[in-house]
Amino acid sequence: MAKPRRRSERNWRAGAWQASLLTVTLFAVVVIIFPIIWMVFASIRPVEETLSLPPVWLPRQINLEYYEELFSNGRQMRFFFNSYVIAGLTAVVCLALGSLAAYGFSRFKIKGGRLILTGILALQMLPAVALIIPYYNMAQSLRIYNTYLALVVADSSFILPMTIWILKGYLDSIPLDLEEAAMVDGCTRLRALARVVMPLALPGLIATGTMAFLGAWNELLFAVILTTGPNVAPLTIGIAEFFTQFGRDWARIMTMNTVGSVPLMVVFIFLQRWVVQGMTAGAVK
Amino acid sequence: MTTRARASTMAVPAQRRLQSWIKQSRGYLFIAPAVIFLLVVMVYPLANVFVTSFTQIDTRERTQEYVGLDNYAALLDDSTLWNSVRNTVIFTAASVVLHLLIGGVLALLLNEQWLSAEVRNFTRGVLILPWLFSTAASALIWGLLYHPFGTLNYLLMSSGLASEPVEFLGDRALALMSLVLVNVWKTFPFYMVMILGGLQSIPVELYEVSRVDGAGRLQRFRHITLPMMRPVILAISTIDIITTFGHFDLVKLMTFGGPIRSTETIAYYVWQTGFRDVNFGYGAAISVMMVVVLSIGVLVYLRMFTAREQMYGETTTAL
Repeated sequence: MAKPRRRSERNWRAGAWQASLLTVTLFAVVVIIFPIIWMVFASIRPVEETLSLPPVWLPRQINLEYYEELFSNGRQMRFFFNSYVIAGLTAVVCLALGSLAAYGFSRFKIKGGRLILTGILALQMLPAVALIIPYYNMAQSLRIYNTYLALVVADSSFILPMTIWILKGYLDSIPLDLEEAAMVDGCTRLRALARVVMPLALPGLIATGTMAFLGAWNELLFAVILTTGPNVAPLTIGIAEFFTQFGRDWARIMTMNTVGSVPLMVVFIFLQRWVVQGMTAGAVK
Repeated sequence: MTTRARASTMAVPAQRRLQSWIKQSRGYLFIAPAVIFLLVVMVYPLANVFVTSFTQIDTRERTQEYVGLDNYAALLDDSTLWNSVRNTVIFTAASVVLHLLIGGVLALLLNEQWLSAEVRNFTRGVLILPWLFSTAASALIWGLLYHPFGTLNYLLMSSGLASEPVEFLGDRALALMSLVLVNVWKTFPFYMVMILGGLQSIPVELYEVSRVDGAGRLQRFRHITLPMMRPVILAISTIDIITTFGHFDLVKLMTFGGPIRSTETIAYYVWQTGFRDVNFGYGAAISVMMVVVLSIGVLVYLRMFTAREQMYGETTTAL
């Protein structure tokens, strides 16, 4: 008699534990996602509804006029374009330089290799603000102030070290035999790298590429220092400017914000697996 | 004809020598682009900022003159600077604690077995979303939530916690913490994912053995999870401290350092000194001080990092 009762009690306890886990998680998800949903709602409804007390939780009327306005505003759209160019080029630069360097560190004996790698890691930890004064001066004297080049270089400098380290971790885990086989078959080293190693390291490339893109997408400080006017300035600057100009115009602000962030969220859903893998690479080992 | 033939036979050994040279130093050729890039865009500017910190710009003559340690001497009794140091320390400490707490709790939740793995992965994906927003975008989102007629004020007032709208960004006592909250919302996913990775790497056998020994959930957490997570927690706290210490964005976007300098961080002060007051020398001196202080943190991190590596005897990735 005692035994079955204990088992049912245990089942009940396990069920209660599951239910409480589920409740807490659900609560956390709602709290954390609410600001994002609120942003989207604010972009499609009149300001009076967004700021009414008590709040109107679900939009009563849907109004897409601000989206039309935004898409037809060349100056605003320029910020989006700039951000995509800068973040895209930063990802390309970091992946190109980073994968070559990672391959070098992973496959060759390099004198002082550990020291160089540690130095690279230390550089990554510098506060970005410490370099704004020389960056500004360098950009001015090289006449690349207010160019994509200046921003891509500045953004890459803080992202490249991370790229090298993560990619080296991926390459270390790919067995040497594969590229040796390819080289026996007549591939040159570079071709073996491009045809055999890189496809295998693709998850790492996707992860670091995404992180590099997001890093540059997020960047504000260098953009403040190195750009002026809307020709080159990224979206972060556009948003800041818009905020100060139209501080009360929440529908317009949130339209800009939604258009800026929803594409990234959609792309991320597809890349999640690899990005998470890349992010945890360090913590796991 | 003959001379040309001779020249080509002469060229062969040279070519071969070049090839063997390339073969020998190929490793260096692979790392050269990145290393040169980093030397130019990080090491040189770092040296440059160091040199600049001993100079002052004469705005009339437009020349830089050497002033020795003047800038550093000025640091000592600049109360604005020390105020910004204080703000930065509070901002960093609060951010790191909340990152670990929220990231840790959510990672533990995601690491438990509930419903299916797909549902948990989906939940993880949803929880990562704030990380995709730029700080600028998060600032706008929270600007709306902090609005006097915004949702947060509604919740506070309807629950009786506040009798009149709270000025989250306009109140000296609250502004810095309001920025912390935005920063935590935007960056906790990164720490959550790292902690989750650490949790998943703890061998399951450890838990099974302790379960056989009759250890409860809390005991298992205290005696297995926490000790096993120590290196991960230490590593991410260091990374977090170092990155948060240089925080600029939210101050520039939401409060401009105010009210009454209560949210001014060191990074914001450096930017103001360098680019509003055009006092590069002094801005550089603050930067150097910041780098020196942070270097201590970096050294601790690297020590930990190499120690861990020796323990496992394998190359690991940072970050």
